[in-house]
Amino acid sequence: MARILTIEDDAVTAGEIVAELQVHGNQVDCAASGTDGLARAIAGNYDVITLDRMLPGLDGLSLVKRLREAGVRTPVLMISALSDVDERIRGLRAGGDDYMTKPFAPDEMAARIEVLLRREARQQETTLRVEDLSLDLMSRSARRGEASVELLPIEFKLLEYLMRHSGQVLTRTMIFEAVWGYRFDPGTNVIDVHMARLRRKIDAGRTPSLIRTVRGCGYVLGDAA
Amino acid sequence: MNTVPARPLGAFSDLWRSSATRLILGYGALFAAWSIVLIGAISWETARYLENVVDQILEQRVHFFTSVERARLPELLAATTSLDLRGVMSYGLFDADNRYLLGDIDQLPIDLPVDGDVHALPHGVRRLSGQHGTHTRGVALRRDADELVVVLVRDYGAVDRVGTIIRGSLLWAMSLTLIPGLLGGFLLARGPLHRVRSIEAAIEPIMRGDLRARLPTSSRHDELDMLSAIVNRMLDQIERLLGEVKGVSDSIAHDLRTPLTRLRAQLYRLQRESLDSADGALLIERCVGETDVLLDRFRALLRISELEDLHRRAGFGQVDISDILRRAHELYAPLAEDAGIAFSLQAARVPPVTADPDLLFEAITNLLSNAIKFTPAGGRVVLASGADQRGARIEVRDSGPGIAPHEREAVLQRFYRTPHGQQRPGFGLGLSIVAAIVRLHGFRLEIGANEPTGSRITILCAPEPA
Repeated sequence: MARILTIEDDAVTAGEIVAELQVHGNQVDCAASGTDGLARAIAGNYDVITLDRMLPGLDGLSLVKRLREAGVRTPVLMISALSDVDERIRGLRAGGDDYMTKPFAPDEMAARIEVLLRREARQQETTLRVEDLSLDLMSRSARRGEASVELLPIEFKLLEYLMRHSGQVLTRTMIFEAVWGYRFDPGTNVIDVHMARLRRKIDAGRTPSLIRTVRGCGYVLGDAA
Repeated sequence: MNTVPARPLGAFSDLWRSSATRLILGYGALFAAWSIVLIGAISWETARYLENVVDQILEQRVHFFTSVERARLPELLAATTSLDLRGVMSYGLFDADNRYLLGDIDQLPIDLPVDGDVHALPHGVRRLSGQHGTHTRGVALRRDADELVVVLVRDYGAVDRVGTIIRGSLLWAMSLTLIPGLLGGFLLARGPLHRVRSIEAAIEPIMRGDLRARLPTSSRHDELDMLSAIVNRMLDQIERLLGEVKGVSDSIAHDLRTPLTRLRAQLYRLQRESLDSADGALLIERCVGETDVLLDRFRALLRISELEDLHRRAGFGQVDISDILRRAHELYAPLAEDAGIAFSLQAARVPPVTADPDLLFEAITNLLSNAIKFTPAGGRVVLASGADQRGARIEVRDSGPGIAPHEREAVLQRFYRTPHGQQRPGFGLGLSIVAAIVRLHGFRLEIGANEPTGSRITILCAPEPA
């Protein structure tokens, strides 16, 4: 169970965030203003923070800056009505770890929070393993059981991302952002086709597939935690 | 000026068109016409007056000659002409039978009645001295005492010369007034023309869509400034209204998006909680799918609006087109393969262009998405780059149904779909996004036909010719 702080002045949005995160079994606290949020963020020892970009009192950008200046490394997911690329860059530069625009799908938000929560635990590994699938980052090769799997460069990148976040639900937007590095909506089927090919290669006829489709949301590799 | 010329202002023809020049020329013509009337009237009046005076003198003289004694007559007549140094006077004396007696007129002019009144002699008069005046008047009178006829003829050339002098001096005066006036007028007209050109330069960005630009005004507060101020007020209003319209459509899209997102969230929650009923789960999945379609449309609409708002060029840099093309090809190759379409990349080496790489990629993926969507299985899609004297270009060619020439404008509008597009998924917004990105870069988008079938869409990565 993770402890999450939600700093959000709009009661409806705050309610949605809290409900979604509680469904995933987290303990969620709420702060409705920037100053209150900053005080709690510094004192509360939270695992992750969701932060509205525009807040009464102290705005989100200044808040995250002060937080980092105070030496608090808690991962921050910034949520903003401003979707402009410049705004996103500004948010990440100020010290945010991820950036989402309103209105957002709660499952997407939960998936991003999950990634931020697990990030801390990640080690610098040279070989990623999920069940009998292994990915050697040095030789850039993949094996399923004894058989080696031939991957195109883009498939390798995709699999690496999935394996680094195994057991976590990854939305198509997150996958497109992380693997291709673009932040617009390419249409769902483009990503789906790539996933289908990767799945065919690593499963090689085995069932159930190592990559599961989460309906209306995204994909997960391995068992969901 | 009634119409704004589409071409740039040329130097002389515009000076000719300028309202100040026309005013000066019109005024000059009126002035000249009036001066000519005035000169004519003055010279006619003067000539008439002088003629009257001379006529009276002639009449008095002829009456005097009829009253003097016969013996003194030759002497007095001779005295008359001897005093006349310029030789404008001549006389003749005839007996009762009109026979010549003396004087330098030896024949009684036939068109001169002997009645003591001055008459014009249109044929002139022949003199012994050989002189033959053109404009002559004469008088003839019979003496009561001895029936002799005295004829006096005078050349009126002097009167004409007075008229000529008056006309000449007035013409001089007129041209001395008119020529500097016209020159000054032309010089004056050049000032406003210069300002019209600066207004034209200021209006260019407005025509290109930058409604924040305004016309320049000077501190003179003259007519042009007043006009510019009126246009500026109009632009304020247009900008405000357009902003409101855009604001309304944006906030509709934005406001609808929020409840839709919430609706989708509820459906998603329902989906997770009702796994026991397979039918219900399927139904909910369809609902989630439909909501996603709606959300995608709103996202695309807001994206276009966002792109149209972008005035910044912060993300711009030197971009390697072939690298972007390679990535786009990599992203869409599996989709094309699944659809049974041969998708090839023909990236020629082209010089780097100034662009936002992410936006350019987004534009290309929209073109590819459309091309793959509308090309039937067994067809062909080519993503190519090239360069010619116009600059670098990116091209997407397909062997689909193509876009008819009359639809090529319309497909760039939001929500427009070709008749072929009607049966397939797609939001009719892809090309609008491409158009918005291309406009933001100052590039050009060309829609043409591919050989033998299909469409060819080109992004010309060169600034629009001015």
